[in-house]
Amino acid sequence: MTSQQPIVQDSVNGSSDPAAEMIVAQDVHKWYTSNKFHVLRGVSLTVRRGEVVVIMGPSGSGKSTFIRTFNALEEYQKGKILVDGIELSHDLKHIDAIRREVGMVFQQFNLFPHLTVLQNVTLAPIWVRRKKKQEVEALAMQLLEKVGILEQAKKYPGQLSGGQQQRVAIARALAMQPKIMLFDEPTSALDPEMVREVLDTMRSLADDGMTMVCVTHEVGFAREVADRVVLMADGLLVEEATPEAFFSNPKEERTQQFLSQIL
Amino acid sequence: MTTLTPGSQELAPPEIQDTPLNWIKKNLFSPWYNALITLILLGLFVYVAYNFGFWAATDAKWDVIPRNLKLFIVGRYPNEQLWRLWLLLALTCGLAGLSWGVIARKAAKLFSKEILIGIGVAAFVCLLIPTAFPNRLLLLGMVGLIVAGAWVGKQLGQAQPGLGKWVSLGWSLLFVMSLWLIGGSGGLEAVSTNEWQGLLLTVFTAAISIVLCFPIGVIFALGRQSTLPVVRWLSIAYIELVRGVPLITILFMGQVLIPLFLPEGMRPDRVIRAVVGLTLFSSAYLAENVRGGLQSIPRGQAEASRALGLSTPLTLILIVMPQALKAVIPAIVGQFISLFQDTTLLAIVGLVELLGISNSILANPQFLGRFMEVYLFDAALFWIFCYTMSVASKRLEKKLNV
Ligand SMILES: Nc1ncnc2c1ncn2[C@@H]1O[C@H](COP(=O)(O)OP(=O)(O)OP(=O)(O)O)[C@@H](O)[C@H]1O
Ligand SMILES: [Mg+2]
Repeated sequence: MTSQQPIVQDSVNGSSDPAAEMIVAQDVHKWYTSNKFHVLRGVSLTVRRGEVVVIMGPSGSGKSTFIRTFNALEEYQKGKILVDGIELSHDLKHIDAIRREVGMVFQQFNLFPHLTVLQNVTLAPIWVRRKKKQEVEALAMQLLEKVGILEQAKKYPGQLSGGQQQRVAIARALAMQPKIMLFDEPTSALDPEMVREVLDTMRSLADDGMTMVCVTHEVGFAREVADRVVLMADGLLVEEATPEAFFSNPKEERTQQFLSQIL
Repeated sequence: MTTLTPGSQELAPPEIQDTPLNWIKKNLFSPWYNALITLILLGLFVYVAYNFGFWAATDAKWDVIPRNLKLFIVGRYPNEQLWRLWLLLALTCGLAGLSWGVIARKAAKLFSKEILIGIGVAAFVCLLIPTAFPNRLLLLGMVGLIVAGAWVGKQLGQAQPGLGKWVSLGWSLLFVMSLWLIGGSGGLEAVSTNEWQGLLLTVFTAAISIVLCFPIGVIFALGRQSTLPVVRWLSIAYIELVRGVPLITILFMGQVLIPLFLPEGMRPDRVIRAVVGLTLFSSAYLAENVRGGLQSIPRGQAEASRALGLSTPLTLILIVMPQALKAVIPAIVGQFISLFQDTTLLAIVGLVELLGISNSILANPQFLGRFMEVYLFDAALFWIFCYTMSVASKRLEKKLNV
């Protein structure tokens, strides 16, 4: 391989305390206003620098809603969330600052279909970080090489396979050089043969020391990569354990029931 | 992509025997009732075409067109100032050619066979137009300008990728310049709007209304989607109010009611009132079209953009709007075409655009009763403009659909 720099950059900053709390969620409650549905019922979770946390749980349990509160795509009504030490409030300045530091990968990729792969990746650094186009393009090419789609840089998303699109989406999020990456079921919309290429990309990202929160049902990935696995059910965190303990020796009945369904 | 294993035969598609005769047999005469319908329609067509051709060749007195050509095109615009319109036409043709070249800079061949035929036909028609010979040469020159502009545009576009911005700037400049060239003042002799007539007035009112109604319509479409209740209510009120009133009513209000309320010196110019009416009317419809486009964009697009840290305005400008507008190009162009045709209503409120000047020509005892000839000519002119818009929109769509 070429002598690539690791993508995770925050170790060069002063605040490289390995135990630093990147995400702290305390007793978070959320109601959907449209139907008064109490979707998060007091969820607490702490994610430290460089940790990989996998969130599992049945459909409708509020996993997406929960991780979308970390970059303020969803509001919450009660509790407290700190991201990289900044409290998520309704203050737009804080929200924009946090979104710059938190990358997100969606189940449906959500690439911008009217822009090329390269433009997808360079858009935010150019417009949000105000970097020079040349500089950003160099970084983008490096990222595209890392996720293995350098040759497709000039194509449009619609011309790529699902797995390739999802890897572009990862590169797009990484181009902002985030401190935290959120994944919301990144492989659920993919054909089985494409799941691996995406998981491999995520694995190498974890190896580089990225702080990651992943909603996924890929047990193999969770076992190998996660530091902790969390079960969410009915808007509550039911169990939080190391992968080993979670899969081999679950304490809660709810977890056992869930695992019996997916294993 | 498929790779053929060595030794496997490449299968040719089954031979389709699609000779024209077969096609006719299959599509026009296949069951007996289709044959019957084909024959009846053919008979009807021949009958109409024969009668029309007979009338056009013998009874019709086409001299009404060449003798009034200047009136049709520019009305009573002063002769000694006509050069300004020629200049404007030349600038427009040159810039149009240039834009075409820049847009098509990546195309393998700028002048495909169809386009060459089109240019040839246009040049031929220019030479045939029944006007003074120098004018025909000038018109031919306009076609030449388009072609030359396209060639230059392609060369420049290939050498300088960021040329698109300058072309847009050029159009904005031309827009301002057209006001100055047509209306005068500021160095040029002023030509009162009463003397802007005929096709000139038709194209002028349509073009200005189209240019103005677009941003206004987009703003109202966004307003209707806004989370601020006051903005949303005002937008809905405006859109629904305007859509509930016929255009002719709005134009009458502009031409007849405003003078009743405002004293002589304070009344805006009649042409301005007409343009305002047309703009207000079509921006409401445009807003609805754009709203359709906005709603067709999945929520995930804006979410992904916001998650990357792009602000709401940037998300709108860079992500949502380009996709929404692209989705509604056909609807928008369709609306521009009907706006162009709606300018004929101005004749009813007393502006002398193409239809208005036609009516006043028909009122001339010399040309009494030449309705068919005159209106057919008007129709042909309208068709040329509308068809051009339609073709341009198809090309634009094709280019954007990568
Ligand atoms: N905009 C909304 N308005 C009202 N209810 C909602 C809304 N979005 C989600 N919900 C409800 O909130 C609950 C949690 O949704 P969420 O998408 O967070 O679940 P999830 O755990 O991610 O499920 P899945 O595994 O299917 O993605 C669901 O019951 C859903 O119906
Ligand atoms: Mg979900």
